[in-house]
Amino acid sequence: MALPLKYNLRNIVVRKSSTFATAFTIGLTVAVFLMVMALAHGIDLTLASSGEPLNVIVLREGSTAELNSSVSRENLNELIYLDGVAREADKPLAAPETITLIYKPRKGMSQGSNVTVRGIGPMSHRLRSGFQLVNGRMFQPGLTEAIVSKRIAERFQGLEIGDKFRVQTTDYTVVGLFDAGGKAFESEIWLDVNSLASATNRPTFSSVLLRAVDATALNALSKRISDDQRLHLKALSEQAFYEAQQGAASTALKGVAVFISFIMAVGAGFAGMNTMYAAVARRTKEIGTLRVLGFSRISILISFVVECLVIAMLGVAIGVLLALPLNFVSTGTANWATFSEIAFNFRVTPALVLVAAIFGAAIGFLGSLLPAIRASRFKIVDALRA
Amino acid sequence: MKFSKLILKNILRNKLRTLLTISSLVVSLFLIVTLATVLTEFSRGSEQSNPLRLITRHAVSLGFTIPVAHQQKIATVPGVRSVIPFSWFGGIYKDERNFFANFAVDADKLREVMPELKMSDAEWQAFINDRQGAIVGQKLVKLYGFTHGQRITLKSPIYDRSVEFIVRGVCTGGDEKTLFFHHEYINELVPEWAKDQVSTFSILANSAEDVPRIAQQVDSIFINTDAPTKTESERDFAISFETMMGSVKQFMYGIMAAITFSLLLVMANTMAMTVRERTREVGMLKALGFQRGTIASLFIGEALLVTTIGALVGIGGAMILFTSIDLSLYFPNFQMFLPTANTVLAALALSVLVGLISVAYSAYRVSGMTIADALRSTE
Repeated sequence: MALPLKYNLRNIVVRKSSTFATAFTIGLTVAVFLMVMALAHGIDLTLASSGEPLNVIVLREGSTAELNSSVSRENLNELIYLDGVAREADKPLAAPETITLIYKPRKGMSQGSNVTVRGIGPMSHRLRSGFQLVNGRMFQPGLTEAIVSKRIAERFQGLEIGDKFRVQTTDYTVVGLFDAGGKAFESEIWLDVNSLASATNRPTFSSVLLRAVDATALNALSKRISDDQRLHLKALSEQAFYEAQQGAASTALKGVAVFISFIMAVGAGFAGMNTMYAAVARRTKEIGTLRVLGFSRISILISFVVECLVIAMLGVAIGVLLALPLNFVSTGTANWATFSEIAFNFRVTPALVLVAAIFGAAIGFLGSLLPAIRASRFKIVDALRA
Repeated sequence: MKFSKLILKNILRNKLRTLLTISSLVVSLFLIVTLATVLTEFSRGSEQSNPLRLITRHAVSLGFTIPVAHQQKIATVPGVRSVIPFSWFGGIYKDERNFFANFAVDADKLREVMPELKMSDAEWQAFINDRQGAIVGQKLVKLYGFTHGQRITLKSPIYDRSVEFIVRGVCTGGDEKTLFFHHEYINELVPEWAKDQVSTFSILANSAEDVPRIAQQVDSIFINTDAPTKTESERDFAISFETMMGSVKQFMYGIMAAITFSLLLVMANTMAMTVRERTREVGMLKALGFQRGTIASLFIGEALLVTTIGALVGIGGAMILFTSIDLSLYFPNFQMFLPTANTVLAALALSVLVGLISVAYSAYRVSGMTIADALRSTE
């Protein structure tokens, strides 16, 4: 027969401070795990959602990022008339784009980071869902105007509407702020591709974005472009392109999360063991009495494990409460693939919370196992005599 | 001191508890020291920068290049002792995972501008004499087994070129995971748009007082050209890279604070259990005439001894581990991976503090009890 849960709960309440100290130790471990994972998760979600399923991005053969790629104007004219490129009112859904970086100080600091400036074609925003102007107006292609993502304007100095920033010798005026539904473009400044080409003195584009009519066309199109020996270009789905970028930063963060929280879990596990050994020692007589009443060794064992699991769950709750305020908090770091700022949100998802709960429970289980085994092994006479 | 034997006996009374507490302290302090070492490495660039050096880059960002012709003009600025191209090539050795820095420089002036690079005169001469020559840091030798005379091919995605170099020397000092080669040589091989262009210049000033003025003067020369520059001290340049990481540092301090706090909880819990269990003993000691202060210091001494042992093992373990395995080999941008003296001292101070705070309340409470109350305790 199992011991009633109420027995454990009462014991937990009687030793308030000890319970709290142990639960909080587990809670801090869970919180650190959740926070670092939420950071990695935020980067993943931003980059994974950035590619449109039917978009193809064309880069120079051998380049690893848009920044070190180039596609000539002649190439562009060949690309947009290929079979499989979707059209809208007879115009191909294709956009030449150019990337450059400008260094901007962060708000309240003298130093900052590189912000991506993207020269976009007339079709660019049609190729990206989620794009929305939230303030001001769109830039006019003939003028030296630009629109800035809201998040970048919030994080860096001098990028609000009306401010000017310089690319080479050209000054651009910010005329609008945009939002891109949490995608990577929310870390960018957009202006006219031809204007940027003349400002930077580079006649070639960084990449060309194409919309395929369907998934089959996407594969055929990518293969057609990559296999063409004359072009020296490579084409891949935009999704694959962004997924490849998440690699370094988020994998490293996940490694850090696992390393730190594993070590902290070992520490918390030892602390849990200490608390449970003390509980077992204090209740030796009680255990003897329970045995006399007919409770089996195994139910004593289960009872102590359950007691520690309750403490661990309390810890998980504390950990989640500590980490939850970070959810959707905006932050940014350097995208290690491009050395430019990528803004994203911490994301504490239900799946992550579940993993954290299992993690916390595992600490509680492993911490209580040995003390519980000791409790179950007491001889009745010895226990009563203690 | 005469009570030290008693303290020791008390600690050994519940060996399992002491062992578990110390183990918990050990892993936590190991983690704190490791994280602190990572933080040291994050800011090594700015902390160990040469106060005489400046870096010039394009005013807009490092994404733009500047003409190598700027070099002559920079050299004429008063106070400039030497200036060399210091151009990021981004070459990859065999596989993208083998990331290490490689720069195009003026071979004959590199030694003057970067005096921290140590190499024999013969090797310097061999490097200078061979246009295709390259020198590699000691750690690259450890990682990839580079030897004198070996041909290394680096593939640069920035310039879309694969270039072969011949190892002419192995240097120590500075970031030992760096490869240097002749700018002259690479300049003939890069595509048209990159010809006679560099990403940055490294300037050596005559004195530290000259540095701010040189920065201003250099930038004013080029302000109205196609390639305006931004010149800053090497320290500021390094800080700009550190700021790119965003709030990583604050985040790590947060984690370290969390670890410290859990350390405190673990220790306080142990001491609370220990003190509570000995309440009756305290009554006995009091009855025998021991003063409140003596009793409190017995407990404080116990807590301090436990935390100190934990700290010594944890910190010592980290020292031994990081001395025997050089983790910096496997992390790009880390020059070393060894806890600094400051880190060790801070970790020690932290554990003493944790020991004191953890026992303070329990010791205060129990030592203040009346003899009757203490003896009547049911613990």
